[in-house]
This record gives sequence, structure tokens and C-alpha cells, in this order.
Amino acid sequence: MSDAPPLRSFVIEALTDLGAAVSDGDPLVWVQAPESVQRDLEVPARFALSFDPERSRAFEAELVAPGSYFLERLVSVVTRRGRWDVSQCTVSGTEWISEALRESGLDPETGVSSRVDGIEDELLLLFAFRVTLVSDEKREGFHLVAVSLVDGSTWPVDPDRTDRELMPHPSPEIRPDLETAYRLATEFLHLATGVEVEQFRTRSLGLLEEEVRRIFGYFDRTIDGLRESDPGGSQDLLRAVMAERDRRLTEAVERFDPKASASLCSIRGILVPTARLEIEFPDGARTESRLDAWSRRLRSLACGMCGGTEGPWRPSRDGLRCARCAATQAESARPRGHPRSDTPRRGTRAGEASARASRGSRARSRGASSGRPRP
Amino acid sequence: MSLPAREPPPSADASLTLRFDDSDRDVLAKAFRTPGDGPSAWRLNREAHRISLVDGFDRLLAWPVLQGVTRYDHQERTALRVLRDMRGRAILADEVGLGKTIEAGLVLKELAVRGLVRRALVLTPAALTDQWREEMETKFSLPFAVLRSVRDWDRRPFLIASMDTAKREPHRGAAQARPWDLIVVDEAHRLKNRLSLNWRFVAGLSKKYMLLLTATPVQNDMEELFNLVTLLKPGQLHTYDRFLERYVASPDRRVPMRVPELRGLLRDVMVRNRRGIAFTLPPRRVHSLPVRLGPAERRLYDDVTEFARDAYWSASGRLPWTARLTLIVLQREIGSSTFAVAETLRRLSQSPLFRMDERERLEELRHEAVAISTNVKAARLREFLRSADEKVLVFTQYLRTLQYLQGVLETDGYRVAAYHGGLSLAAKDAAVRTFREDRDIFLSTEAGGEGRNLQFARTVVNYDLPWNPLRIEQRIGRVHRLGQDREVHVVNVWAEDTVEANLMELLDRKIHMFELVVGELDLILGNLDERRSFEDLMMDIWVLREAEERRSALRRLGDSLVRARAQYEQVKETNETVLGDSGEAVSA
Repeated sequence: MSDAPPLRSFVIEALTDLGAAVSDGDPLVWVQAPESVQRDLEVPARFALSFDPERSRAFEAELVAPGSYFLERLVSVVTRRGRWDVSQCTVSGTEWISEALRESGLDPETGVSSRVDGIEDELLLLFAFRVTLVSDEKREGFHLVAVSLVDGSTWPVDPDRTDRELMPHPSPEIRPDLETAYRLATEFLHLATGVEVEQFRTRSLGLLEEEVRRIFGYFDRTIDGLRESDPGGSQDLLRAVMAERDRRLTEAVERFDPKASASLCSIRGILVPTARLEIEFPDGARTESRLDAWSRRLRSLACGMCGGTEGPWRPSRDGLRCARCAATQAESARPRGHPRSDTPRRGTRAGEASARASRGSRARSRGASSGRPRP
Repeated sequence: MSLPAREPPPSADASLTLRFDDSDRDVLAKAFRTPGDGPSAWRLNREAHRISLVDGFDRLLAWPVLQGVTRYDHQERTALRVLRDMRGRAILADEVGLGKTIEAGLVLKELAVRGLVRRALVLTPAALTDQWREEMETKFSLPFAVLRSVRDWDRRPFLIASMDTAKREPHRGAAQARPWDLIVVDEAHRLKNRLSLNWRFVAGLSKKYMLLLTATPVQNDMEELFNLVTLLKPGQLHTYDRFLERYVASPDRRVPMRVPELRGLLRDVMVRNRRGIAFTLPPRRVHSLPVRLGPAERRLYDDVTEFARDAYWSASGRLPWTARLTLIVLQREIGSSTFAVAETLRRLSQSPLFRMDERERLEELRHEAVAISTNVKAARLREFLRSADEKVLVFTQYLRTLQYLQGVLETDGYRVAAYHGGLSLAAKDAAVRTFREDRDIFLSTEAGGEGRNLQFARTVVNYDLPWNPLRIEQRIGRVHRLGQDREVHVVNVWAEDTVEANLMELLDRKIHMFELVVGELDLILGNLDERRSFEDLMMDIWVLREAEERRSALRRLGDSLVRARAQYEQVKETNETVLGDSGEAVSA
């Protein structure tokens, strides 16, 4: 919950959006609620909110805090609304293209030249997912995934990103292929959460294994002890102990069995000008890319070392590098004063091949584990 | 789900796959086919989801929503340790008075806020069910209900049941047939015997998390500790034979061996906070103010008592439960004041619970009561207050007594802050605030008001005495708590030859209850081999017709209490030997 937006502004905006008249005074927030809000939130026509428990008691105001009844009801109402929206990103001129290239580290100063082959409107689809991992604990994450149906590319979007550049767009004529976009988004989500899900699974199963071992150890030794002390003893007693063991094992499995689920919270269509670019790198390589005015992400680029698709980029004569790999490369290139390693160095053909092979293996294994092909 | 022996746990060799919610289809089917709610609603949807995300147990989320709970570091540390390190299964074995119930409530609330607990069962001794319900509701806003019928197992996801009721059919089967997210067992030392119905009942409950609360995990011998830990985590203390061999000095099973090693194992499953110097409360001083009732009050008291005895032993034998309860109330009220009893007499004189001749007697008693305007106890209280030069808390059980006292004391020139159940939360807060600021007397009907800090005062007057000793303890606990650095004075006003005089004999003279540490009384009363409440015991003695019978019954109960206290002292010592400094000394 550390990345959550401030509670006070959220509550005020949410109530206002629901049609309530809100007056933010210190220390209380006063609310005049229309009938629908009264019904949905189980509140009177006029009531006060407090974000401080002591003041909530003193002024008999509804308390707003994690776990409070009011906040739970408000969240429930708000998450039932706003499940889709279409907005438009309006920009003037073509300045944004050179700005985006510069921010991505791909401008003439870095030896990259680019040509705009055309600008067209494109519909990006933004899928908001809530990912929940549960065993005997719970971990949740919120993911925004952008999908382009034009080139099939997908990428993550920062949930904190503001909506300043967006305008409401009348949507009746928008009929995107949601099935395909959803499939692409879920495939991306599988990959994006793969490491975290796997770590969660490993941890949960580790705990389960430990529990199961302890239960077997205890009950087996108890059963052995009973048999030794009284070889012709009651079978009923042994059966009871075994039944207790099985019940405990069942309980352990139910407790630690990891589950991972995702639910689609909302979808947003964003109509955005998108430039088709041809980019030439310092090593002479050329590629076609697409750049939209909202996400300003250059698509179809991949780091020559890690295969990542996240900029900013550091073009060099050795090929395109993401900023992180470029930094690592620079670090490892420093003289260390020790004998040269036999390991092929990154940036050489042998090194890149080796890196690709290991990436491919990891990717294949993840793809296989999720049961879906990698996009 | 059943697991055949020796098979690896499910999904051990398969990967974990994100499962997408079926409701996604609904969103996809509707999106862009109808007008949306606008960009603000979309953004707020996103923020609402983010606000409600849960990520492990990095911190306690529930603190801000708790009502009237003072925040103590040791309780916060305990809750986090139970949630993170012990994964929701622990023995909470704090020394008495350090707030095991609050710690359990904290853990429960945190799990509930995170959506990990949707069904919880609290098992307590019968006498504590209502207290638990009240605490869970008022402090933690958890909608617990006390088990009343077998249908409650289906209807109530948050249930409090007495262990004695729950462990017997038809409740036993109903409880064990359902999965529980959390089981809390209060006074868990009652699970000391692996062969007992209690132990087998709790072991047979299907549960994800479990909290066992006891200040004294070891009652008589080391086997009890083994049984308790094994209930929670079988194998933690090895098998029974191995446990005896390694940790128990034969032949005396009360004496532990390899204590440091044993304590190491216990640390994985048990939290035991101990009173550090900062948590050692100053002593209590008890002052007894007996009075002899005036002629009119005495006559009314005796007449009401006679009526109660007659009705109690009516021709049809012992009264039904509701009528018996009514008589207890009547007898308690007359012990408070004539003002308290008058209204009940009026009501009962019209009640079909009683025969016509009884109703006529009740009406006569009412006339007798309303004709009395003097009050000897009030006079004694005023005399005491004249000698007091500090703020004083005066407790009474009844609103009518409170109203009478308020009038009398204000006439005397005292500034009184009145506090009772009819006040709104804000008015209660205001009463506490004004008492702190400029009032002389805090006049309260509620032993509760828990969590409100009143320890700036240090004198508690029991204008009347609740028959439930735990209620008296709660009253004293308003000032005798952390933050109190001065000696506390407990002043008991009581009339001779009344039930309250008997109470004083038992609680003060026999077991020195007023000098105990908060929480110890529960354990002593728990050692009484009695299934009836203390109130019932008092009434049963009081309604005996012959004075000698009453005296000898009182003597027997007194002896039982003395034995219960001695047993508690012995148990305390044993636990100190076994667990000793295995926990953490709490500082303020």
C-alpha cells in the first residue's frame, strides 16, 4: 500500500464524482450526499468524514482509514464504476517526436538518425490488472499494460502516470478487437509477473515441505513408538493417530498451497497520434519503429545484450544497449588488475551469443511454465 | 482435500500459473458497447484498487481503525511477529495484564483487513463470552456474535462460543464440519490434556491460523506444555517419549531439563512478554468503608431479600432462568440504592413472571422504596470525599443511583463529570475531557470506557459492588494501568449484612483481590471448579433461608477461593521456572 495515492484526495474526488457536494475543512470533510450515495454507502444525507480516529470519535464522523467500514464501502462502489473509458491524446505539431527520441537517447547527438515515414491515429488499449498471490499470506500488485493492436506490441505503463494530456473522447464508434488485445495483455502479464509468481510459489512450497516433513516425522515416530511399546496393541488407536496425521497434512496443504490470480479492473482506449519511424544506428543498422505521442515509447527495439525492450537507449558501435546493460558494460570494462577471464566478454560476438542463449533458455522455460507463447 | 501419505504436496512439481478471473469476460463484453462513466471514474477505479492492495505484513494496517486501544510497542511487535514469523499460529503467553486479548484482536483484525480471515471462531470460558464480544466489537469493529443456537454455525462467520458448549454435540459436529480461517482459544491452559474433550475438539477443527492465549501454559507438569505446543505444531517438541526423555527430569514431571534448549524451541511458537520495570505498576491500597443501613433502608433491604428468597424457592421449585435473573437484578439493585430498585419493583409488579400475590408484594415494596429519601452510603461517600483532595472516580452499576449521587454531590459543590451508557461517543469523550480539565469527580456506571486514559486520577470508589469480580477489576483497571506512577487507592463502600458484605469477605479478606495484578483474578476464578457464574454462586448462598446454612456455604466458597489462589501462585511459579526469561521484558 506504500505506493497508494493519498487517501484524502482520493475520497474527496470519489465522492464528488459520485455526485456528492464535498466541503474540505480542517479537521473534517463535510459531505452532502445524493440519494444514490446514501443508499450505496449507507450514509445519511449530510455527514462528516475524518481521517483521524480520535477526531472521528470526538465529532462522530465516519472514519476513513485502511480497514474502516466507510472506506471499504467506498472502494467497493468506486471499483464497480469506471471500468472502461475512451480518451484522446491531443498534441500539436511534430515536436514531440524529436523530444521523445532525445528522451530515449536516440537523437543525432548519439549518432542516431531517424526519418518520419508518416503520422496516423492509433488506438492504444490500456488494461488494468490486479494480481493476487495467496497462500497463508497475501501479496497484491497493480499492473497497467498497454496494447497496440496495430503491431501487437505490449508494454507496462506506470500506474502513477497522470492523465493531463488526455481529453475525453466520444466513444460510440470505437469497436476494438478486445479479445485479441486482452489475450496480448494477459500474455504480457504472465511474463511480467513470472519471476514474482515463481518466487512466491517456491517460498510457499518450501514452507509446505517443511510442515509436511515435520508432520510425517512426528506421527511416524509416534506410530512406531506405539507399535514397539505394545506390538499387539489396539489397531483403533493406530488408525486414530493416522487419521489425525492425514487431517493435519490436509490442513497444511490448504494453508500453504499457493494460488495466483489476476482480475481485469478496467480498460481504457486512448486514441493517439503515432509516428512511423525509420531509425539508423551508429553501427549502420536500420530498423522501423513506431512512436506514439502518449506513451512516447519506441517500439520494436530490443537491447543487444539482455533483450529488454525498456529504454532509455545507449546506441554504440557494438549495437543497441539499454541504459542498464550499458552501465554494466562500462563497469566491467574498467581495468581490475587481475588476470583476464576465459569467459567471453560481452560486446564480442561470442559474448552476445552466449547472452542470447541464456536469455532464450530462460524465456522458453517461462513461456513453457505459463503455457503461453512469448509475444 | 485429502492427501495420501508420502505423496509430494500438490503443485510441487508444476508451475504456478496466473488464473484470470471469470468476471473479466463481463468487462470485455460490456466495454465500449455502452457509454462509460467518464475519465474521472476510470482514474478513480484505478486508485481505489491501488488503495486497497495488500502486500504481506510489512506493517500493521489496522491501528487507525481501532477504537480506544492504547498503542503499546510490545503488542505491535507481538502482532507482527505472529503474522510474519509464526505465520498466524502462535501461543500468546504474556504475563497477566499485558494485553493478550488486544494482541489476538490485532492479529485477527490484520488478517481480516487483508481478506485472509473471513470466518473466525473464538473459544472462551463461558463467563468471558460477552466480554470478548464487547471487546471485539467496540475496539476492533469485528461483528462477532455469541453462539446461541446450532444455526449460528451457519449464520455467523465471526462467532464466540464457550468451550464447554462448543465441544458437545450438536455443536461439536457443526463446528468441525466447517473450515475456519482462524481459531482463537482463550485460557488455553484448559487444553492441557491430550485425551480431554477440549483438546480433541480443538484438534479436530479445520483451521488455517490459530492463536492459543494463556499466561500459564504449564499448570501442573511438563506434559501440559507438550500437549499445548503439539496442538499448534506437532513435532515442534519432538514426540512425546523423546520430549520426556530430553526435557523432563524423571520422575518428577514438574521439573524441566535442558531449559535453554527447550526455551529455544518454544520461541518458534510462543510469544511471552514479561513485565519490565516500566511495566510494574505501583501498589494498590484498599480502604473499606462499611456502613450500617438506617432503619428504613434496612427494612426495605430485608423485605426485598425475603421476597427474593420466597420467590426463589417457590412451590414449583427453583425458578426458571429468566425469573431467577430478575431476582438477582433486584437484589443487586437494592445493594446499590433504594433509588435503583424502585423502578424495577414497579416493572416487576406488572410482570406476568410473578403470581398476583407476589405482584402485590412487589407493589408494596415499591411504595416502601420511593418513600425513602435518606441514603447512608451516600452520607459515608460524602464524608470520604470531604477528606479527599484529588480527583476521584466513583463507580455505580445503576443510572438511577448515578443520577441521585450526581444531584447530591453537585449540591455539595463538587464539579461532576457523569459518564454512562446512554451517552453518545462524543459525549463520553467530552466527559473524560472535562474530568481531566476541571472536574473533581468522574461519576460512571460503566466499568468499561476502556482504553480511555484516566490514570491521571488514582482513587477509585466502588459505591456499590458488582457481583462479578471481573467487573470490579475492570473499574480499578481504569486507573491502575500503564502510565500510573502513583499508589492507587481503592475505596469500597458497603453495607453490613448484605450480599456485598459477603463479597467483601470473600474477595478482600480471603483472596485479597484488590491487591492483585490486573488479569490474575481471571486465572484464580478459572481455578474454581465451578461451572456457574460467580453471580449465581453469590445468589445461591444469599437465598438460603437459614443464617447458619448461609455462613457455612460462604465458608466453603471462601475455602475454594483460597485454594484457587494458592493453586494460581503455584502455577505462576512453575511457569516462571520453565519459561522464565524466554520472552521479552516489556518497557513502556
